[in-house]
Amino acid sequence: MTLGLAVEGKSVVKIFGSIRALDGLDLTISEGEIYGLIGPNGAGKTTCLRIISTLILPTSGTVKVFGLDAVKDAGEIRKIISYLPEEAGAYRNLSGIEYLEFMARFKTGNREETDRMVTEAAEVSGLGDRLRDRAKTYSKGMKRRLLVARALMSKPKLSVLDEPASGLDVMHTYHVRETIKRFVKEHGVTVLLSSHNMLEVEHLCDRVALLNKGKLVIEGRPQDLKQQFSSSNLEEVFAKVVGFA
Amino acid sequence: MIIVPLLMFPVLGAIMSFSVHTAQEKAATATTLILNNDAGGNYSDLFISFVKTSLKVYVVNNTTPEQALAQNLLSRYNSTYFLEIPQGFTANMTQRLNMNNTTVTASVNFYVVFSGGGAFENIGTSLIDNSVSQFNRYLAPDVLAIQKSAIIKGEIERRVDPSALSTLMVSQAIAMPVTIMILLTYSMQIAATSVAMEKEEKTLETLLTLPVDRFAILMGKLAGSVLVAGVGALTYMVGFTFYINSFSSLMSSSAIDLASLGLVPSLLGYLLLGVSLFVTLLSALALAVVLSAFADDVRGAQSLVGYIYPLLIIPALLMIYIDFNSLPTWLRIILFIIPYSHPILASKAVTMGDYPTSVLGIIYVSLFTISIMYAASRLFATEKILTAKLKFKDLWKRGNVEAEK
Repeated sequence: MTLGLAVEGKSVVKIFGSIRALDGLDLTISEGEIYGLIGPNGAGKTTCLRIISTLILPTSGTVKVFGLDAVKDAGEIRKIISYLPEEAGAYRNLSGIEYLEFMARFKTGNREETDRMVTEAAEVSGLGDRLRDRAKTYSKGMKRRLLVARALMSKPKLSVLDEPASGLDVMHTYHVRETIKRFVKEHGVTVLLSSHNMLEVEHLCDRVALLNKGKLVIEGRPQDLKQQFSSSNLEEVFAKVVGFA
Repeated sequence: MIIVPLLMFPVLGAIMSFSVHTAQEKAATATTLILNNDAGGNYSDLFISFVKTSLKVYVVNNTTPEQALAQNLLSRYNSTYFLEIPQGFTANMTQRLNMNNTTVTASVNFYVVFSGGGAFENIGTSLIDNSVSQFNRYLAPDVLAIQKSAIIKGEIERRVDPSALSTLMVSQAIAMPVTIMILLTYSMQIAATSVAMEKEEKTLETLLTLPVDRFAILMGKLAGSVLVAGVGALTYMVGFTFYINSFSSLMSSSAIDLASLGLVPSLLGYLLLGVSLFVTLLSALALAVVLSAFADDVRGAQSLVGYIYPLLIIPALLMIYIDFNSLPTWLRIILFIIPYSHPILASKAVTMGDYPTSVLGIIYVSLFTISIMYAASRLFATEKILTAKLKFKDLWKRGNVEAEK
């Protein structure tokens, strides 16, 4: 077991038909950090997150999550992670609170633990009385806040968040970002997220990796990357690396 | 919406035409066994030669109906009915015709094996009715009467008119296939929707990353579908029973007591029917879940499941109109292979006390269900549940490209 490493991917390849979504990706994420994946559309970010979340299998290469193999120990990994897909939904006929209860019961069989998780998630979501309404009445922002709360409520060792604030307005984006930050700080959860929003990544992540055409192009702390490429923000770094600036 | 009616009505027409044709062919080629217990009588000879002009006849002298059954004469001559010319037939005919004694009635006894078959089962017996009425027309009106009895499960039930019995049983012959057909289509829709809804509502990915066994998710989906479909079926059957009873009560033939004739399934029969229905339901639901995994949304899943419907509808319709055992062997094999035929077959088999047929059906459908469940569990265990796509348009294109090569 590799101590101190939350995720370790070596030469990961994923092929869908004629498309090489990941092409020998190497990735290491330390325990307790917020790690961001950035890259253009089709760079392989979601594929990478899905492999780490045990949803799909790598074609070749190895992925370990807290020392557990993503292929052989998928069941064990699912116990210690949570995954929030980019386009995720909640069961439309359940109220927000019922949804949280339903999802909490997958994580623990203990009634008190379930109640604790739900209470905490309800607070984290910040949805107040609206949690008693059915999920189908929620706006996109409210639904995303509910889902982020669901992803964090079990205090997983690793939370994989695909575009956690995608398509949200400033208020909801701010709430989601602050929630993630606070949760990592308070509970030591490791977070792996992907985003198109460079500002979000810069403000939120300890380390960032830029993916392009299934390969990791550069990796480092946002501050270091900006210095390395003499750029004022990550957007410029991104443009220079991908080659359109 | 456009193709289904265009296909279904011609298929329905073809089934009707095939069923009538098969029943007529069977009746025309069947041997009419005549038990002549008035051997040497002028009128019995006249009657036999009259029947011979239109039907294939085999005559056995001085044998009672009970003896004929004991000697397996029906199966020996591949027949399902026999006529008995009773003792004193010629004497009665002579009194009636030559002495004009109207108090005396000459009659022949007609015995028909009741097989619990389809709506066209009476075609064969109508040929005998025709022969008798033509004989009357030839000699004098109403000189010869026909007494009908049914042979049920190898026992002669005198004075139970097989035509009236068939008319009474036809309500069951229609009710069971229709109920089973609707139950299966309804439950397949639910099962297909349950997985496709997860995809459409974008909840499936989250569900698959939870610490719960994928097989348990599959079983949960099936259990939920079985429950909803079961409640649906129950309410449907209650409603349908009222509907059928409203007709049965109007029939004069309802004086026939089916229970005393042994035409109501026993407790074991009901149990076998229930098991048959359950395993078939499970196989249909598992198949619907597998198919829905290939769809992106609810509409797509419902369309895919729609391709299975002909396999539900055609056997049901076929067996409403015609007895399974009277079908050609190749068609019987096809119907046997289709798992959705088996509850319909079982419903008739248990009524007739033919338990081996229903047990064989249960074993076959169980094996079919296990293989489908295995396929479903494999699908749920891999990423194919997320990535698999099945588009018949693509398969069609691929087929054409390969054909061109």
